[in-house]
Amino acid sequence: MTFNAPAPVLRRLTQAQYVNAVHDLLGEDLLVSRPMEPDVPLNGSISVGAASTSLSPRGVEQYEALAYDLAEQLLRNDTRRARVLTCAPTATVDATCAESFVRATGRRLWRRALTTAETTALVTLAGNAATTLNDFHRGLEFALAAMLQSPHFIFRTELAEPAVGAEPARFSLYSLAGRLAFFLWNSPPDDALLAAAEDGSLGTDEGLRAQVARLSASPRLARGLRAFVTEWLGLQRLDAVSKDPMVFTSFSSDVPAAAREETLSLAEHLALTRDVDFRQFVTTRETFVNRRLASIYNVRAPSELRPDGFGLVTLPEGSPRRGLLGHVSILALAAHPTSTSPTLRGKFIREALLCNEIPMPPVNVNTALPEPSPSLRTMRERLQRHQADPTCASCHALLDPIGLALEHFNGIGTWRPNDQGAPIDASGSLDRVTYSDAIGLTQALHDAPGFPRCITTRLYRFAYGRHESDGEEAEIGRLSQDFAYGGYRLRRLMSSIATSAAFRRADGGTP
Amino acid sequence: MKTRIDRRTLLKGLLGGAAISIALPPLEAFINANGTAYAGGGTSFPKRFGVFFWGNGVLPARWDPTGEGADYALTPQLMPLAALKSDFTVISGTRVLTTNSSPHLSGPAGLFTGDALRGGTVSRPSIDQVIAQELGGETRFRSLEIGVQRSNESYSFAGPNQVNPPETSPRALFNRLFGEGFRMPGEMTVADPRVGLRRSVLDAVGGQATDLRNRLGAADRIRLDQHLEGVRGLERQIARLEENPPNLAACRRPEMPAEEFPDVDGRRPMSAISRAMSDLMAMALACDQTRVFFNMYSQSVNNTLFPGAPAGHHQLTHDEPGEQPMVDAIVRLIMGDLAYFLTALRNVQEGDGNLLQHSIVLATTDCSYGKSHSIDDYPVILAGSGGGSIATGRHIAARGENSSKVMLSVLRAMGVRAPEFGVGAGRTADGLAALAP
Repeated sequence: MTFNAPAPVLRRLTQAQYVNAVHDLLGEDLLVSRPMEPDVPLNGSISVGAASTSLSPRGVEQYEALAYDLAEQLLRNDTRRARVLTCAPTATVDATCAESFVRATGRRLWRRALTTAETTALVTLAGNAATTLNDFHRGLEFALAAMLQSPHFIFRTELAEPAVGAEPARFSLYSLAGRLAFFLWNSPPDDALLAAAEDGSLGTDEGLRAQVARLSASPRLARGLRAFVTEWLGLQRLDAVSKDPMVFTSFSSDVPAAAREETLSLAEHLALTRDVDFRQFVTTRETFVNRRLASIYNVRAPSELRPDGFGLVTLPEGSPRRGLLGHVSILALAAHPTSTSPTLRGKFIREALLCNEIPMPPVNVNTALPEPSPSLRTMRERLQRHQADPTCASCHALLDPIGLALEHFNGIGTWRPNDQGAPIDASGSLDRVTYSDAIGLTQALHDAPGFPRCITTRLYRFAYGRHESDGEEAEIGRLSQDFAYGGYRLRRLMSSIATSAAFRRADGGTP
Repeated sequence: MKTRIDRRTLLKGLLGGAAISIALPPLEAFINANGTAYAGGGTSFPKRFGVFFWGNGVLPARWDPTGEGADYALTPQLMPLAALKSDFTVISGTRVLTTNSSPHLSGPAGLFTGDALRGGTVSRPSIDQVIAQELGGETRFRSLEIGVQRSNESYSFAGPNQVNPPETSPRALFNRLFGEGFRMPGEMTVADPRVGLRRSVLDAVGGQATDLRNRLGAADRIRLDQHLEGVRGLERQIARLEENPPNLAACRRPEMPAEEFPDVDGRRPMSAISRAMSDLMAMALACDQTRVFFNMYSQSVNNTLFPGAPAGHHQLTHDEPGEQPMVDAIVRLIMGDLAYFLTALRNVQEGDGNLLQHSIVLATTDCSYGKSHSIDDYPVILAGSGGGSIATGRHIAARGENSSKVMLSVLRAMGVRAPEFGVGAGRTADGLAALAP
């Protein structure tokens, strides 16, 4: 097998992973309320970005402030402190008690056992601080702050075991534990997973399968799934979406967050709760709404609501709105602040759902669209220019026709019967499959072989933190076949990646 | 440069070493009789460099001046800068010669680094970071990155993929600059044992990475080093807390800006935020908290809704028909915000001169004509003379010249000993001669 680019060994914790780590390792009741280094998507992927970026000087300052804030929250409260400190100090400087804290907390935060030298340095630091401040517990705060600011915490370090003979290099079991937990939970390993790395059982096929089954059965799996869907669809961009409230009167500042929650809830519902064919993500009449979204969709608010105000609804059979492409999240993101954009919507479907690569528009071309006029009323008429000019048509023929199928949904996703008073023609074709309206497009997408293959590719990138190279196509093909064989169940695909031999290999190759 | 006078030692002697805090008046006496430099050291006021960047270009027909030299007439889009005409030079006609492959991104990459985009990112640090490497060591912050539009993107790069995200909240910038950790000139050190402990924590953090570093590949090693460089920068910041602050007559703690700048009609109040940021940045420079900044006013391809605009900025540059009066109004609004910032710098007296004179502010955008993404005839303004190092008050028509020549002139004016700037098509070993004062 060919040797490909070595796997990245340093991946910065994303903001969500940092928060999850604090809550899972130090306590749900700790508030992570200070700003921290933003995630940097690279080619649209946060996890690929996390494997390429470092930390800016401002980020270092932010992590320092956050570290002391968390240390104080944890260690100045008796109840919380008891969770991480099992001994009572016998003096202001009690190296034995400090060491037990440093070893136990350090192992969790750094996702491995600390070396003796590391432990000693941190215990010494705690002792010096305790002496200076005349307080044992205050001393521990400085040791904890040091652990939280460390590259060993902020970066996931994935290191290979030395290769044995002709065997491919594999990740150390601690590194594998981290890969599994961050992929499936978007969070660090728990004690049981670290223990499986330490006793070697994670290195056996049965041991690995047992841990993946355990991780998959946990409610934390939803966080992994949500992190994947957020990055796959670019839902983080909803934070900065800008819509003109004069044009879209039903748009308000609470809509973007609600729209994201709808999409994530539906993904979780199909992939985890019901564990059904995930291609339904684009065709289902089921969705989740709160009162705000219910009014945009013109449906009755659900009778049973979750504590966050959302509930499951089934859109009426005659509804023109189906699945993901009917969600406010996608319709608003792939649009302009004051209008729709069939081009952006087509681009979203091509890139995110079919993994087609669309080149950048050429430079030095006139990109203006004609203004609406009596002869050019609808967007379809105005976009004719994209099809008439061969330079434009080479890409726009792939984009505009499928985006035009969604023209019945305005720039924030509200249904409209016509455009500028003119009827909307939503017909078109997706890779030679013709349809007459948006429902037809969603069915064509559901049936397109490229769609489940693309889901596999995007999940692979999320799990590996890199774009696949040529040598990895075979592994993606294998996973994609397995996805189809298993009835396109996303939960099963997550497990397939996690238990694969390739996921353990540290040389970037595939078996 | 010796700008600090250690009165701590003196007062310690007087007060038997007790930790105290006394506010002392700013000391004009520390400036020499000519008013051009600090007394004692004989060195001149520090030079500052910054970038003011906005997205989506200009309308060249309403931007490019026609006359040359000092007697040129301001064009409509430059008119908001009229009161500052003698304080800046406008350079038209230079070209970014590196590949224009990515609309909006190729221009800034080529201009700020002298190289084309490689693998979707820059290949080398942007000019602000090159200068920070040279000038940033003496100040509390090596450089400051700010913005007006809410975004995490910037063209300030420490290296490939190593972006310095902008701070876009005036309150957060105030807290970072003038909150805990800032002391007015003349304010004495308060002995706080936590300061030393924080330093020892950072020292330990740096030490922890040594073993790890040896096990990493080259690319990851650079990323880890970037983190550790930040850790050392923070250590230096904390060390400043144990020293006396610089004595600068113009330094004042500015008023705390509002916590929120609520949207007006669904539109972010860009000008109000820009002005708040400008006031803070002027004082950050006056108080010598940093000497290098990057202001990402708005992003490339941004679809900001400006007041009265019927569509987002980027969409308008492509879709607005005719002479694009709305795009024109937006560029003039942004130039008005630039004028406010430059005026804030000019209002800070430093000896016989002012802060703007001691600075070079490079104001530019991502293309010339937004509609076509052209990077020929690149719009560039250099405001301030860097302490008399470059000419101001002129229009330089440099048709066809490599834009890297401007960058090299700026580097040299800032005191960076640079034999050349850029690589490949962007490389030059000569500055732009017409910029000589």
